[in-house]
Amino acid sequence: MPLASNFFSRPWVRWAAIAIVVVAVLAVPLGFSEYTNQNLARIGVFAVAVLGLNVVMGYTGQVSLGQIFFVGVGAYVTAYGATHGWNIIVVLVASTIVPGVIGLLVALAAARLGGLAIAMVTIALPIIGVPLAKRLSDYTGGSEGVSASFSNAPGWSGLYNDQWQLYMVIVVGGAVFLLTRNLVRGKYGRAFAIVKSNEAVAASMGISPYRYKVMAFTVASLIGGVSGFLYMAVIQFTSPETMTFSHSITLLASMVIGGSASIVGSLLGGAYYVLVPQWTNSINPNLTELLQGAILLLTLFLFPGGLVTLAREITQRVRRPNRHSSGPEQQHTSAAEAVSSHGEAEQDPTVTGISTERQHKS
Amino acid sequence: MNHRNKARVTGAIAVASAVAMTLAGCGRGSDSSSSGGSSTGITDSTITLGITTPLSGSTAGPGTCTVAGMKAYFGSVNAAGGVKFGDGKTRKVEIKALDDAYDPQKAKANYDQLKGKVFAMTAGLGTPTNRAYREAAIADKVPQVLVATGDPIFSDTGQSPYQLGLVPTYVNEGEAFGKLLASSSKQHTVAILSQNDDYGEGYVEGFKKGIAGASNIKIVKQLTYEASDTSVDAQITQLAATHADVMFNAMSVTPLAIASLQKAQQVGWKPSWFLPSNTSSPTAILAPGKASAYPGVYSTSFAKTPQSPAFAGDADVKKFLSDLKEYANYKDAPEFPHCMWTYIAGATLEKAFENMTSPTRTDFMKALRNISDFKAPLMLAGTSVNTTTDGQPAVSKVQVQKYNGTGYASATTFG
Repeated sequence: MPLASNFFSRPWVRWAAIAIVVVAVLAVPLGFSEYTNQNLARIGVFAVAVLGLNVVMGYTGQVSLGQIFFVGVGAYVTAYGATHGWNIIVVLVASTIVPGVIGLLVALAAARLGGLAIAMVTIALPIIGVPLAKRLSDYTGGSEGVSASFSNAPGWSGLYNDQWQLYMVIVVGGAVFLLTRNLVRGKYGRAFAIVKSNEAVAASMGISPYRYKVMAFTVASLIGGVSGFLYMAVIQFTSPETMTFSHSITLLASMVIGGSASIVGSLLGGAYYVLVPQWTNSINPNLTELLQGAILLLTLFLFPGGLVTLAREITQRVRRPNRHSSGPEQQHTSAAEAVSSHGEAEQDPTVTGISTERQHKS
Repeated sequence: MNHRNKARVTGAIAVASAVAMTLAGCGRGSDSSSSGGSSTGITDSTITLGITTPLSGSTAGPGTCTVAGMKAYFGSVNAAGGVKFGDGKTRKVEIKALDDAYDPQKAKANYDQLKGKVFAMTAGLGTPTNRAYREAAIADKVPQVLVATGDPIFSDTGQSPYQLGLVPTYVNEGEAFGKLLASSSKQHTVAILSQNDDYGEGYVEGFKKGIAGASNIKIVKQLTYEASDTSVDAQITQLAATHADVMFNAMSVTPLAIASLQKAQQVGWKPSWFLPSNTSSPTAILAPGKASAYPGVYSTSFAKTPQSPAFAGDADVKKFLSDLKEYANYKDAPEFPHCMWTYIAGATLEKAFENMTSPTRTDFMKALRNISDFKAPLMLAGTSVNTTTDGQPAVSKVQVQKYNGTGYASATTFG
């Protein structure tokens, strides 16, 4: 392989790098102040929510405006379980399954529709969610909301609460990110990408657009449920306002700003969701909405493909000097990079991935 | 594929370190509240108060008012030199306000940000937003006092040792009107339309408490609506069919309150009408609802309304309006009562500061819970700040008021 010369591609280097990253990430909660840890945990919560949205929107191309509903349901299930003394693993499973089942039922109907019709159906979710949460006050605590402090650090750990919560986010959120990464890189991811680019082509290849749309939607709601679980672990309170429709829009904006169809982009989207309101607050608390709008526009002007294009750009700059050989594969890689550096929101790494593999085989 | 993955891994590392560098604060510092015997957010010359309240979104109007009232009061106090604390030192009061857009998650984030810098949290508007950090404030022993919510949990010392509510609960308001009605010498039939949540239930519960045992009052029909409803015409028509002479309308949605007043007139039903304090604005609701057509529109209040002709020459109101303009950058007479509420809260805080003998949060809570019958500026005759009764907010007495075509005047009898 021409790449063998590359230091970074040696297996042991890769494993060492991964190990260093893991250790560094695990050490983070111990080294930072309480407020930083809390902020990082919040970023993790919303990064998971954005990741879910990315599965259905970024990778599969189906507009969903209901993601915050699943986060809210996950949070409520968590609160219910935690206040009734369920085991934390049971709580996590329930807070994932319940939104997942709801998502599946909605998707079975919604995925029959195409394009913006799905957006219209999913809009209904948060709009129904808020009054529903108020009405089901026996389970949700009504409009006063419900708090559950099940995520405080146990005595044996010797950790502060914020450190413990951040560890919860890193472990659970990290697992979700890893699983989702594998999902969208694998055969399902390729199927999602084909459904996104052309449903007729997908059908002709034996991939049922309906089934894969339902699947993407269900996965998104499962992930939304996990995000709700983490929301409850970090914020320890939820009320009907959690599910407000405008939060769904903010999640969507965060996904586009972070980077559509990108794992790292989801993380950046979570950071955007949490940090921008704080920045605008520190500039002028009376102008937060105006400033957020300005930042949104500015980001999209500068990075139409999301903040992740910035990260890709940096990586490319760092790597360019290492490139010497000029095999056919090398050419292809630079072509792929040219595409990614263009940073189109619509670009599909998975589709490119398929063609790469075809070239390998041929 | 390797290239791509590697790019991603490197990207992730780059991004992670960038984020880490942006966020990097100092390491875990020692608990600052124990140093030198004084709590966080207080020095020998200043005390800092934190507010998280909606400054954007649909509740931005009242939310902005909660900050403005506080800034107006302490702006004027600071200009006069500051507050003379019970420990002999004079301190200026600084206010740090952050926007939470009525989102509990952001309120908690704002609290996390403020708690290391402020002495106490105060004045914030909203039940869910205040509840979002209530337990954290208890755990951190940070006072969360005189917050603008009618939720009784904030005034229950058993459940909320570091909290105190500011405004009368929904039950207090409903009860005040119920009592006034019960004292009437005539027979009355009452129709009730309430919001189907704890807001509406609180008012109805209070009203029923107020009329308990009164033989001259009969509730003839009771209906509810959802806060998300866009029309209550059906309910109004049904209630009109009862020909009740009193309408108890526990409604928190401004457009629905206007529409109810209009619809009842259209179908020829003109009862006396009760509206809660936060949906009884003369300019925003009663004028467009053509409320003068009714024999009487009643609401409750504990603060003087600047718009009301009855208080046009009032010294308190004049000072309040000029403070608001000068220190809070709030140019017009406020449309929301929250400006007056937090102005009163400012006066109450000053009172507590004056009685604090040491600059600690514990001592502050003690001083704050020991104010009885304090006549704060802008308060109506018959109301006062009283923090000594467990389970009651700082202001628990309200005056029933009757609309007189332009503003409100106190009503001591019904009719």
